[in-house]
Amino acid sequence: MTTTAPRRTSDAPAVTTTVVTRVRDRAAATPDGVAMRTKELGLWRETSWAEYWDEVQDVAHALLALGVGRGDRVAVQSENRREWLTADLGTVAIGGVTVGLYPTNPAAEVVHVLADSGATVLVAEDQEQVDKALEVTGRTPDLRHVVYVEPRGIRGRYTDPRLLSWSDFLARGREHRAAYPGLVDETMAQTRPGDLMTLIYTSGTTGLPKGAMLSVANVEATVGALTGAGGLLDPPAGPRDLSLSYLPLCHVAERIFTTWNNAATGIQVNFAESIDTVPANLREIQPTFFFAVPRIWEKLLATVQVKQAAASPLKGAIAGAGLKLAGEVGKTLAATGGRHTAGSRLRYALAWVLVVRALRERLGLRRVRWAGCGAAPVSIDVLQFFLGLGIPVYEVYGMTENTASATANRPGTWKLGSVGVAHDSVELRIDPATGEILTRGPATFQGYWNRPDATAEAIDGEGWLHTGDVGVLEDDGFLRVTDRMKDIMITAGGKNVAPSEIENALKVSPYVKEAVLIGDRRPYLTALIGIEPDTVSDWAQQQRIAFTTYRDLTEKKEVLDLVQGIVTDVNSRLATVEQVKAFRLLPKLLDHEDGELTATQKVRRAAMAERFSGLVESMYRGGGRG
Amino acid sequence: MTATEPRRAEAATGSTPGTGPTARSGGRRPRGRPAMYTTYAQDMALLNTRGKKVGLGALLVLAVLLPFVLQDDLLRLLATGCVLSIGAIGLNLVTGYAGQVSLGHAFFLGVGAYTASVVAGDPEDEEVWGLGITFLPVWLLAAGVVAAVLGLVVAPLASRLRGLYLAIVTLGLVFIGEHVFREWDSLTGGVGVGRQAAEPVLFGMDLSRRSESFSGDQQMYWLMLAMLLLFALVGRNIARSAMGRSFAAVRDRDIAAEITGVDVRRVKRRAFVVSSFYAGCAGALWYSILGFIDPSSFGLLLSVQFIAMVLIGGVATISGSIMGAFFIALLPRLTRELPAYLPFLSSSATDTPNVFQFETLLYGLLIVLFLIFEPRGLYGVWIRVRNYWKAWPFSY
Repeated sequence: MTTTAPRRTSDAPAVTTTVVTRVRDRAAATPDGVAMRTKELGLWRETSWAEYWDEVQDVAHALLALGVGRGDRVAVQSENRREWLTADLGTVAIGGVTVGLYPTNPAAEVVHVLADSGATVLVAEDQEQVDKALEVTGRTPDLRHVVYVEPRGIRGRYTDPRLLSWSDFLARGREHRAAYPGLVDETMAQTRPGDLMTLIYTSGTTGLPKGAMLSVANVEATVGALTGAGGLLDPPAGPRDLSLSYLPLCHVAERIFTTWNNAATGIQVNFAESIDTVPANLREIQPTFFFAVPRIWEKLLATVQVKQAAASPLKGAIAGAGLKLAGEVGKTLAATGGRHTAGSRLRYALAWVLVVRALRERLGLRRVRWAGCGAAPVSIDVLQFFLGLGIPVYEVYGMTENTASATANRPGTWKLGSVGVAHDSVELRIDPATGEILTRGPATFQGYWNRPDATAEAIDGEGWLHTGDVGVLEDDGFLRVTDRMKDIMITAGGKNVAPSEIENALKVSPYVKEAVLIGDRRPYLTALIGIEPDTVSDWAQQQRIAFTTYRDLTEKKEVLDLVQGIVTDVNSRLATVEQVKAFRLLPKLLDHEDGELTATQKVRRAAMAERFSGLVESMYRGGGRG
Repeated sequence: MTATEPRRAEAATGSTPGTGPTARSGGRRPRGRPAMYTTYAQDMALLNTRGKKVGLGALLVLAVLLPFVLQDDLLRLLATGCVLSIGAIGLNLVTGYAGQVSLGHAFFLGVGAYTASVVAGDPEDEEVWGLGITFLPVWLLAAGVVAAVLGLVVAPLASRLRGLYLAIVTLGLVFIGEHVFREWDSLTGGVGVGRQAAEPVLFGMDLSRRSESFSGDQQMYWLMLAMLLLFALVGRNIARSAMGRSFAAVRDRDIAAEITGVDVRRVKRRAFVVSSFYAGCAGALWYSILGFIDPSSFGLLLSVQFIAMVLIGGVATISGSIMGAFFIALLPRLTRELPAYLPFLSSSATDTPNVFQFETLLYGLLIVLFLIFEPRGLYGVWIRVRNYWKAWPFSY
């Protein structure tokens, strides 16, 4: 142990700290420590720090062998897995720029990102992703190599000369490594804080994705703000903590919580098998550190509600009583800012015995030490429910353009419904004219790739980043985000309405999957509502309602009444002008490929209004239901 | 140690390419995550949860301490329960796991009992044969092996017959056995005379006789408990290894099993041999508790009692076999108490209705009721209770 510290400094003098040097140092300090686990044939196979670092070096050398130079772009399109991380870090090690692609991206978007970024190498997970990249070759002249990780369906069938399997890729790297040992150490030493590290294509609810340029310094600023002392949790995450990696790695949030957090704190990352197995994987892993988007929290809540309703009478009654107690605890804690009263402590103890212990175990949240929510607004009801279970979900706020570091709730300083206070390194203010949230700090991005016009719109002359969100900064430093600026509606009566709050109130119901509020320049508010197929079909079966397809289900009178009940309930808590006067059920599930959702499952309002214009107009023709 | 240190350091600093350690197969499991398997050994472990470990440990401690609490007559009953469990496990292997209905179990029990008593018998005796080897492991093994050999002889029947036909044929075996046992006086002593059973002698000490500190029943109980543990563990391992899985394959669909490469004849032969071995050992041990063998004991009723143990306990489960055996072993004791509550039942064998008739009736009734309402037996009841709590606070 004592010998590693001085050697590290003598080996690599004055090297800029990057995610890669952090991994190298971890591999030197704890070579046998668990860096990550992948589930293979039923077993969680671990990768040690030494193996991780070894593969990163192989990848780095392989990229050098393929002629990738400093500043060249390397694209990765894959589900979360070890190869994503090693491809990313191998690229950064040689001064390259990583470009992430969503595995769900349709071919058109893949081609756009590849062409726009000018990536020379693509690491594609499997045949599906390879097909997307090879579909249109004319527009991606820079793409010289496509490395595929899973050979199934590709090996022996595809003849494209650009294809290279992952194992051959690594073999080339090892050859190169034997021929030029120490070359990667040299390239790492040349990295400077201002160097571009990654391009993150923002999904963009309007227009084509734009590549946000993040530098080494941006990433280090975020890593410092979130993972160190005084970061997201105290004591900070460490090698004994576990996390589950399941959100797309090309999104800045998951990149922070998987790749960067792993390198910075040594937390053990466990890759979920797929998004569908997240509940089962959660139960197995029982993470201590869990970040989720609102959709996941809503779904966990819906699972609890549906299962409680379907439980046998005795269990249902006991679970109901326990959850009611937990709900009261949540309410008390929300009111007191997290301080237990004698009554809430007693209630929590009782609820713990009845329900909470078993429930948390089954949800996979038994050992959670820090739970976070971000990337979209969430309803207070959802957070309060988990608060009652003894899991404070800390909302964090940030966006790709400020490397996701703006504000965060932290243990000890949090307020339900706010997104917390600004990090120490971040300046925050509200534009007095528009109410827009502005941030400034070392994590503010370098600009959009090839889009100086868009960059100029985002960052003003004084270095303030215009987030596009409207919010309120309270006296005690807590920020409340109202909504996206362009989503704010002004009704025909001249009233400003923030749709996300009402939409989220609707989405608290387990039966509502999507809610899109409409009302800009309209006499009253209406909503397009998408029902959750799993829960509603269960409900329909219990009610003995026969149905065939999703569309058929949405046309049943009973289902309409069910949703009407939810809408009426939400309306009762709203001011008259904010009430939803009519709604229509969406006849189909929204989909990324059809352009209704972004890659991060956010609704594209413009596309929706256009696509379902018939439904929308019908709600303003002589009044609607209710 | 010294050799590995530099290699690790090199891999870590990256000065020598391609020397990183290979992927570990036996991973470390973080604490408190029972559903997270990092090796197949964890997945296959007999006691794969902490609940099972603690539960079985507590049960064993309780079982070992029982002789200090209970009266000798009850201990004798429990020792019998242990032995019957061994027999029931044997029957469950052939009938439950391998699906070969056997009504001939009583025959193999008899073979075991007589083999043991011949091996251990007094060579001076002029009425019946005896070899005079009283050392328990010898006669126990002999009883098992002779029964197994006879099982091997019978097995070809099973490879030709299935289901009901096999049941009828094994029924015939019981009648042949009963006839032979009655008539072969030099082996069995003949009807009404009988012969001494094998004495459980270990290292010069007859366990069934009172020693300095413990009574015979206490020692016999511990002996049988140890035997049960041994046989149950072997049975469980047979069931979960390739052999047990090929049994199940033959039971579920013999044609499909054959197509997947299972040699159906060999599997059936093995099932009969293993089952007969268990029955032989159980027979020998059982009569070493009773001390005396009457040749008319190995009739159809005994076979039916074992079928009842399997069905009531739980088909194709080892722990179910044990539960069923104890249930049947303790049932007479319970029915003896009945006349106190049901005045119309007589405790005398000469009156009608009496408890003995009621007992026989009860076997049949229990089999019928279990098959209708709880086909998975007592084990199924247990699983249901366990799942109820496992799914807490919901129903699924």
